[in-house]
Amino acid sequence: MSGHSPPDIRAPAHRAWMPGALRHAIACIAMLMTAYATAAAAAYTPGSDAQVLAIVPPGSAHASLATRQVALRRPDVALPLAQFYIGRARVTGDLRYLGYAEGMLTPWLGHPSPVRPAALVLHATILQSRHAFDASLVELSQALALQPVNAQAWLTRATVLRVQGRYALAMQSCEHLGPTVEPVITQLCVQSLQALTGHLGEAYAELASAPHTGVPREVRAWRDSELGEMAERMGNDSAAEQWLRDGLTLKPEDFYMRTAYADLLLRHHRAADTLRLLSGYDAIEPMLLRIVLARQMLGRGEDTRGEALLANAFAVEEQRGEAIHRREQARFLLDVERRPAAALTAAEQDIAVQREPDDLMILLRAAQAARQPDAAAPARDFIVRQHLQDVRLQPYLATRHP
Amino acid sequence: MRAAARLLALGTLLFASGVQAHIASNGFLVAKVAGERITGSIELAVRDVELAIGVDANHDGRITWGELRASAPRLDQYIARHLHLAAQSSPCTLSFRALEVNARVDGSYAFLPWTARCGAPIRQLNVRYALMQDIDPSHRGLLTLTAGRVAQTGVLGGSTPLLSFDVAHPSQWRTALEYLQAGIWHIWSGIDHLLFLISLLLPAVLLRRNGHWQPVPSARPAFLGILKVVTAFTLAHSITLSLAAFDIIRLPSRLTESLIAASIIVAALNNLFPIVTEGRSRIAFSFGLLHGFGFASVLADMGLPDGARLLSLVSFNFGIEVGQLAVVLLVMPVAYLIRCELLYRRVVLPIGSTAIALLASVWLVERAFVL
Repeated sequence: MSGHSPPDIRAPAHRAWMPGALRHAIACIAMLMTAYATAAAAAYTPGSDAQVLAIVPPGSAHASLATRQVALRRPDVALPLAQFYIGRARVTGDLRYLGYAEGMLTPWLGHPSPVRPAALVLHATILQSRHAFDASLVELSQALALQPVNAQAWLTRATVLRVQGRYALAMQSCEHLGPTVEPVITQLCVQSLQALTGHLGEAYAELASAPHTGVPREVRAWRDSELGEMAERMGNDSAAEQWLRDGLTLKPEDFYMRTAYADLLLRHHRAADTLRLLSGYDAIEPMLLRIVLARQMLGRGEDTRGEALLANAFAVEEQRGEAIHRREQARFLLDVERRPAAALTAAEQDIAVQREPDDLMILLRAAQAARQPDAAAPARDFIVRQHLQDVRLQPYLATRHP
Repeated sequence: MRAAARLLALGTLLFASGVQAHIASNGFLVAKVAGERITGSIELAVRDVELAIGVDANHDGRITWGELRASAPRLDQYIARHLHLAAQSSPCTLSFRALEVNARVDGSYAFLPWTARCGAPIRQLNVRYALMQDIDPSHRGLLTLTAGRVAQTGVLGGSTPLLSFDVAHPSQWRTALEYLQAGIWHIWSGIDHLLFLISLLLPAVLLRRNGHWQPVPSARPAFLGILKVVTAFTLAHSITLSLAAFDIIRLPSRLTESLIAASIIVAALNNLFPIVTEGRSRIAFSFGLLHGFGFASVLADMGLPDGARLLSLVSFNFGIEVGQLAVVLLVMPVAYLIRCELLYRRVVLPIGSTAIALLASVWLVERAFVL
């Protein structure tokens, strides 16, 4: 900083350095404080009545007053609309739709009615999307108590328990799926858990060789996504890429799969491919994070706008007391903002909620970067206890950092 | 919070480019209490206003400023019906000022300033918030309440439609104490800053004469030397800590952490192969600027509470000074007492400095290459 101050020719240099630096610093503070204060007051009066402030997203108008009043009386309107909104949330990544869905369901959650189990299962799906896993499990139990043969409830329960890393309970849920679903669904449910508990190779072989003619598109895409993830954990990235591409061809709207494919590309430093894959998906936080990481990798300077959007989204989530994107937040803090200590805190909060391989990965990486190897103990213990196989985690397990 | 504040400044620029990352629906409620009056503002996303009261008069799916402005009286009514403030049990009357627009990173918000009269001095403020709840139960009102210099925050909506705030009993002291402790703790736990200072102070009880170290004859020059170094270091890191804490300058932490390690090496090597013997306070000042950025990253992780930013910063900085002074007071009298021993000049100074330089070299490699 003192380098910018003009040389003082009247006094010997070794006497002038401190006042010069100080003067400069004070000038800096004064100037930038003013800029900061004025920029923070962002409210304004638009100059023209024609200025467009917002575009109403298609479908959201249903949530308006008139429809809500109908939905209050008629479950045959409320439940399908809720399902529609949950679908919109999945396709657009817009969390407001989950709120609209919840608004439709609320009247049907509490008191007894024939549609209560269905309403509970839909609401549990919303809670799952918000990573409120325990609350989701409570509602699924309530639904299953009312209606023990509810394949959707058992499947959602298996998924939630699997994300939480409670594999034994998840397996029990898979076994409840029973004869009402296609056998391939039960097989996927079971094998994806086998693959996480020490039987990766066998599960992969079994799923990969299972016949898939006549299997619905959605289920085939799910199978491809599971096989892709398994292949990655086995270290067979070229097979993984093929599975994920096949899956995305079947179901381009599957965000989870697209994100997984982006991570695979990023691991191979294929930043340009990542940007192509995610082009047009920058409104979805986890995708935006991968876009920012890919741009960073390409060395095209900082993606200031993307970083600002992410930082804002995480800040608001934190203020709301939610933890939907803790994993992404930890990765953002570690790889974009390069604040390992803060990343470790986020990763620790994340692992308390969910334990997918990616969650274990970010804790291991953050603990290493923050030079606190002991903080990764929950991840290490979990991996050992479950016999979890994943070549991507190996580098962080083999060498205990001093 | 710090990030959110920083983003406000960027908001106007960013909105221009179109796509936004989706976040859940939030209303931003700001209230400043002064005696019997409250001034404040409420912000709702234009999208949410459309759902709540129907703004899109021509049903073209685009909400213009003209349409929003024409709906302002209905918006006032809607907010008055769904947002209730009370001083203790006495309800406050809201009156709204002219509607404006705020560009946030996730889109345009209707920004409505208001004032409230409560008819009684406010000791406890009760806020009931029901905006948007029937449409989107996941909508939350994010409240920032300021009374005097104390800021409190709250999240309204869902299962918490009502919050009460104690306005009369500020917890400024608690905040100050918390940041003071954090400052002391940081200087003691992150020994790199202390090692830098100690490297500069070890020779303060000695004089360099004809290429050899000699003990200082009296306490006065030793004391002055120590005072200069400590003052220069304090001054320098206070400047950069403040600049970084207020987000005026940001440096990547990998760079500052690496340079801090390098500064320790320089300070320690200077004891082994003295180049700067009389003006060590200059080293303390120049590298102290870097150490300030190191302190700032700790503070950034803690965040500065809105409304008590300066107080927290000053407390944290004061904590650092207390922590470092305690160590100086512990180490330097001993150094002064044993300065005449050969042990000090032949063992403590050279071996100590070598050890410090080696340790710092390990840090430098670790930090620079993120091992």
